[in-house]
Amino acid sequence: MGRRVGIVGAAVTPFKSKWYEKTYYELAQMATRDALKDAGITAQEVDAVVYGIYNDIFERTCIPEHPLQAVIGMQNKPGVRISNGGATGAYAMSVAHAYIAAGRYDTAMVLGVEKATDCFDFTSMSSTPEVIKVIGWSGDSFFEQKIGWTAADSYAEVVLAYMDRYPGDLKPEITAKVSALLSEQVKTNRYAQRQFDQCAPAEVMNSRYIVYPFKELEICVYSEGAAAVIFAEENTAKAIAQRTGQPVVWITGVGEANEVSFAGKNLNDWGRIKSHHVAANMAYKMAGITNPLKEIDVVEIHDAFIHQLEITMAEMGFVPHGKADSLIEDGLMTPGGEVSVNPSGGLIYCGHAVGASNIMSAWSCRNEMIEKQYRRGLVHGTGSTIAQYGVVMILEHE
Amino acid sequence: MTVPKKENEKVIPFRFIPDREGKLKRIGRKDYLLMNDAFYTFFERSMGEFTDFFLAIKDKKKILGCRCTQCGIVRCPPFVTHCPDCAFAATEPIEVGQVGKLLSTPPITYFANSLFLEKAPFGRGRVTLAGADTALSVMLYTTSGILTPGIFNKDTEVKIIFRDNRMGEISDIFCVPTAELKPAQIRKKGLLESELNWASPQEPKYGMPAKDDIDSFKRTLKDLIKIAMDMNKSKRVRKAIEGWKRNIAVKCKAGEFAMYINDGDFKIAATKVKKPDFVIACVDPKDLLDCLSYKGAVTDAIILKKLWMSKNIEFNTAFKLDRMARALAREKKEAAEK
Repeated sequence: MGRRVGIVGAAVTPFKSKWYEKTYYELAQMATRDALKDAGITAQEVDAVVYGIYNDIFERTCIPEHPLQAVIGMQNKPGVRISNGGATGAYAMSVAHAYIAAGRYDTAMVLGVEKATDCFDFTSMSSTPEVIKVIGWSGDSFFEQKIGWTAADSYAEVVLAYMDRYPGDLKPEITAKVSALLSEQVKTNRYAQRQFDQCAPAEVMNSRYIVYPFKELEICVYSEGAAAVIFAEENTAKAIAQRTGQPVVWITGVGEANEVSFAGKNLNDWGRIKSHHVAANMAYKMAGITNPLKEIDVVEIHDAFIHQLEITMAEMGFVPHGKADSLIEDGLMTPGGEVSVNPSGGLIYCGHAVGASNIMSAWSCRNEMIEKQYRRGLVHGTGSTIAQYGVVMILEHE
Repeated sequence: MTVPKKENEKVIPFRFIPDREGKLKRIGRKDYLLMNDAFYTFFERSMGEFTDFFLAIKDKKKILGCRCTQCGIVRCPPFVTHCPDCAFAATEPIEVGQVGKLLSTPPITYFANSLFLEKAPFGRGRVTLAGADTALSVMLYTTSGILTPGIFNKDTEVKIIFRDNRMGEISDIFCVPTAELKPAQIRKKGLLESELNWASPQEPKYGMPAKDDIDSFKRTLKDLIKIAMDMNKSKRVRKAIEGWKRNIAVKCKAGEFAMYINDGDFKIAATKVKKPDFVIACVDPKDLLDCLSYKGAVTDAIILKKLWMSKNIEFNTAFKLDRMARALAREKKEAAEK
């Protein structure tokens, strides 16, 4: 695994439905400034930067990261941009981890930013259909874009295939309870887009279908915002921790996998999200975890959709396949349960500023571990069509 | 040789293009500049190795797959010229059937992206056609009206339908359930959209109202007028219908009334609309009242056939009505908490 790598600083901007007041330049600078402050270091002490920016069209330029090099004070330092669909932030962290673990650099900042809702549909006079259209450009351009592919309908394909395979799981009253629980948890996240949007399960069930089987309050909301984390190798991390008085949260496991996006014989295991399973097992092996439910205290999962959250928890071994509803029915994720899931409110309530989202999850997971003295945490990212990409990172603190 | 263009169509429909102008948005005490803009690129895009697949759809009304010359697997769509499972042995084109089974229950898009708002609701599923081993993504429609859950499931048998006007692209085909076709249609290769018997929207007839119906209608209409007045005072509701204009006739068993959406204003009145943009029909206006009171959703009520809407494209307005109901409910809840 190479050198030990730890998180020594982290910050997020508020996630908002629209930042009229700022471009992505300033959002990136805000997150950088606050993450450096959190780590008690200057930009000059950071050896490299990894940018997580999902979509060129959102930022309205094809190399959106190049102006940021000056905006965040990284002149003549290495900067690489990662764009891996919804899992952009998680893959960006994985790359930064690899750089430091390999000994190429001692410190690196991962900076995610997205400005999604400048896109605007002038026929419906609203942003959302245009944001969905832009994301729709991410579908297969020969066979799927022109028949209405969207991120939501592709994730719904996997979810419905799972429901065909495991009828009786993902019951509407349970998915509604998961959403309602997340809406309570977001109350303490002052950076969340929907901090005060608490919903009862009945409200979730009464919300409209967007894409069957997803209801409006079971889907992540598109946000604008930025997030940054600073990684350092062991000696540097310990020195920084001594200065700041904040413990280092170590990255002890990383795994990633990409499924194929076509389906049928010899292809995808239809009805499973295998990439999440593979990524989790890689990370567990690296971290020496054999029973995630017993050994992991807090999970920040990329909940693009509530149903997918449940399936991913099964793929990562917290519950058996076909019994994902036990997360609620057996109280595994309810307050006082075995594992805290998305204390940030997740992407459904904190918001989904795509390139920044998984970095926000890491920020939240680290905060929870420090504040609540949790030993182990898990950060997850998913992306692309049919939840094709999966990334899992294990955090640990002594 | 050129592929004939679709009549009066540009690659970017004109209605999507905003005027070149900007505006100011006030946040707190400061104005921020918003500029209408676009990020457009035109392509003369090669279909390369997929040319035969798309031309077979366009010119011959055939679906092609590709068969591995080593393991024999037939992939449709033919997304490889060489089989990655057989050390990249060559594949060869092969025609596949036009009837197949759905790999899994397909999703239904009710809230589409801006390019597909007029086509919603539609399903998109994966069909394994006869003779193929992999599944082709297809749009799914029913000939029986609005697409609702339960029409298409895992293993539902479907048939490829060809659009009458084809360009040589994947949207030239879609599927309907074979259960909605006659045996001769199922057998026919290259069945055209125009050969289907599409149900046309028929406004429901509810018969003569009883006195109770009339009394209930009057009471409910009062409640509806009141809720519209509350909505009109709500900032969030007004924002939800900013820039939106619709005159809607609502026809019930015991009477008719009007809903007016006018760039932030919302009004319900006991009048008839002369030239409505569209019609909503329901036996009892309480169904609509429930939706506007956030005890259900207009979208779901249409899906469940409690409400009837004359134009599918107006699902967009149904979404706005749902957003308005939720916005008002949120404001009331916040006020109660204070």
